[in-house]
Amino acid sequence: MNKKIVSVFLCAAMAVTLIAGCGAPAAETGGNEDGGSSTAASEGIPKDEIKVGFVHISDPSDMGYTYNQDLGTQEMQEALGLSDDQIINKYNVAEDASCDTALRELVDAGCNIIFATSFGFEDYVVEVAREYPDVQFCHATGYQAKDAGLDNFHNYFASIYEGRYLAGIAAGLKTETNKLGYVAAFPFAEVISGYTAFYLGAKSVNPDVTMEIMYTNSWNDPTVESQVAKALIDRGCDVISQHSDSTAPATTAEDNGVWQVGYNNDMIEAAPNASLISPRIDWGIYVTEAVQAMIDGEEIPTDWCKGLADGAVYLSPLNENIAAEGTQEAIDEAAEKIKSGELHVFAGPLKGVSPDGEEYEVPEGEYYHEQEEASAPSWLYIIDGCTVVE
Amino acid sequence: MLNTLNGLFIAAVLAGTPLLLGALGEILTEKSGNLNLGVEGMMFMGAITGLAGSYYYEQAVISAGGNPNGVLSAAIALLTSFLAGAGGALIYSFLTITLRANQNVTGLTLTIFGTGFGNFFGEYIGQKAGGYVAVSETTKKAFSGLQIPGLSDIPVIGPLLFEYNWLVYFAIIVAVVMAWFFNRSRVGLNLRAVGEDPATADAAGINTTLYKYLATVIGGGICGIGGMYMSMVTTSGVWVHDCVSGYGWLAVALVIFATWSPARGIIVALIFGGLTIMRMYINIPGLPAQIYDMFPYIATILVLVITSMRQSREHAQPKSCGLNYFREER
Repeated sequence: MNKKIVSVFLCAAMAVTLIAGCGAPAAETGGNEDGGSSTAASEGIPKDEIKVGFVHISDPSDMGYTYNQDLGTQEMQEALGLSDDQIINKYNVAEDASCDTALRELVDAGCNIIFATSFGFEDYVVEVAREYPDVQFCHATGYQAKDAGLDNFHNYFASIYEGRYLAGIAAGLKTETNKLGYVAAFPFAEVISGYTAFYLGAKSVNPDVTMEIMYTNSWNDPTVESQVAKALIDRGCDVISQHSDSTAPATTAEDNGVWQVGYNNDMIEAAPNASLISPRIDWGIYVTEAVQAMIDGEEIPTDWCKGLADGAVYLSPLNENIAAEGTQEAIDEAAEKIKSGELHVFAGPLKGVSPDGEEYEVPEGEYYHEQEEASAPSWLYIIDGCTVVE
Repeated sequence: MLNTLNGLFIAAVLAGTPLLLGALGEILTEKSGNLNLGVEGMMFMGAITGLAGSYYYEQAVISAGGNPNGVLSAAIALLTSFLAGAGGALIYSFLTITLRANQNVTGLTLTIFGTGFGNFFGEYIGQKAGGYVAVSETTKKAFSGLQIPGLSDIPVIGPLLFEYNWLVYFAIIVAVVMAWFFNRSRVGLNLRAVGEDPATADAAGINTTLYKYLATVIGGGICGIGGMYMSMVTTSGVWVHDCVSGYGWLAVALVIFATWSPARGIIVALIFGGLTIMRMYINIPGLPAQIYDMFPYIATILVLVITSMRQSREHAQPKSCGLNYFREER
């Protein structure tokens, strides 16, 4: 009996020493890091000590959204001269509790600033940001920063609707049936704002054009994207655009002899006879600015949004072989007007209904201030000429 | 209205074909008493190797200064995807038949392995190609809809029946041949005996190990061709990350829906394919898309309930399915 008690005590003692043995150095270094980063806000972090973390929903092989995000990361790394081990990427993180885990792992790895790039990450980011006030968190496409009341939580996005408007011009000039099709991910403001801008762009050069929208209910599901594109083509649409991550709509359009306008990436290589042009976001501008702010000890803006005028939104090269004549000129002209502020995409008179049935009207002579007060798109009204098929 | 229904039918055939191929492979496998849950994995392996086969063939021909041949390119895709699926199934067969590992666990492992295999090599070849892996115009043409002189020109019926890509007809031929094989041939009867009761089959002098190996490996190869359909037809010869996206699991469900009958598989795949794309063609006001997405699974559950109520021996899972046969245990 005594033997047993002794052995239990021995085991317990061993366990305690083990924990203490491992725990002590960790606590020490942890303390040092904390001390370093708490002064960081005012003094900045030396460039060779800063660590940057990213959480992505996919990985760069998607050749779409995450690929484009990763280009931004590389741009930042080059501009600031960071080494590879100063950047930690978490790829293929789902929009669920695994995001929480990924964020905490990045904090444990000593990241001073963490970027989360998918819409559904936001709730987890807010929670983790509350727990770690010394680490800066930046969330792309989100909307909660201005109300969260946290100094270390920021939203960022780009005025992609400006790019979509310009891409819409290419579609409006190309269409022969005067019917556009749009493969849309979700009935969210980000998506609705995008396709409304695209439609308005097409309408600006082709007043007879209408558009049909079908949702895939997923950001990235190539099979469904392809099927939805086919269904739209069957309904008579002859230019397909998309707010979804893969090239499947482009290849489906090519297969069926119609045209396509992409998103996130130049898709001409995937569908040389169909893809006209793609609006893109240059994420590198923001990521570079934010990391630079950390190095300089400056504050990162709560909401960051830049557009065409600053180069944060741009268009991939036009596919001259198949685009209608005069497309490039029309796009350049509209782009100049948007940059100078003469042209507003959501200019009145505009009338729309949100998916919840709420009506909204922009009177003549005024315009909807999209992405001006917050970085997240907020236009969620489906206007005349656009039909959601469901 | 008629146009919509025609469109729905055509889309259903296109959506149902990879499911049919996956299900046929799995039916052949299960008839030998092996429950291979690695369909998704084998489809991924077939998807990337089929695409890679065509792609590297084209690159080789182009760099030699020639013009790639569409038919040859398609044949290479067929062969490589079959071999990849068969290779995956061979791993499974060795583990379950020779080493008698647990079939469920081995199958699930194969799914995880195959998914990683497909995405890894898809990404790798893509990076080497400097962006996309995309096959040329010639191969894309070889996988798009056929134009059969005479037949395709018949109004209505032509586009409805004779304008699909060749894999659709291939899948139907495989189903018909397999139905004949199970019901009309001696070897097919032997195979069914192995799946129902390997001990009895063994006593009757049938080489159970050989039957199990062959059925599983060929079944895996057919699953691989189903995966190739995803990369060559659905995404038109461009590698898209995660392109099989659960279709392998749908195929496993389809096996149950088809009650292990290849001939019934044709109709059931059409229904299954139709149910998956129905919401894009038929709009019932007020019915959310998520409900539509449930239809295939509700149908599977209903079929399970009905077949178990009828307790028909004819249309049930082979009896020894999922159990490993060990001769010395008799």
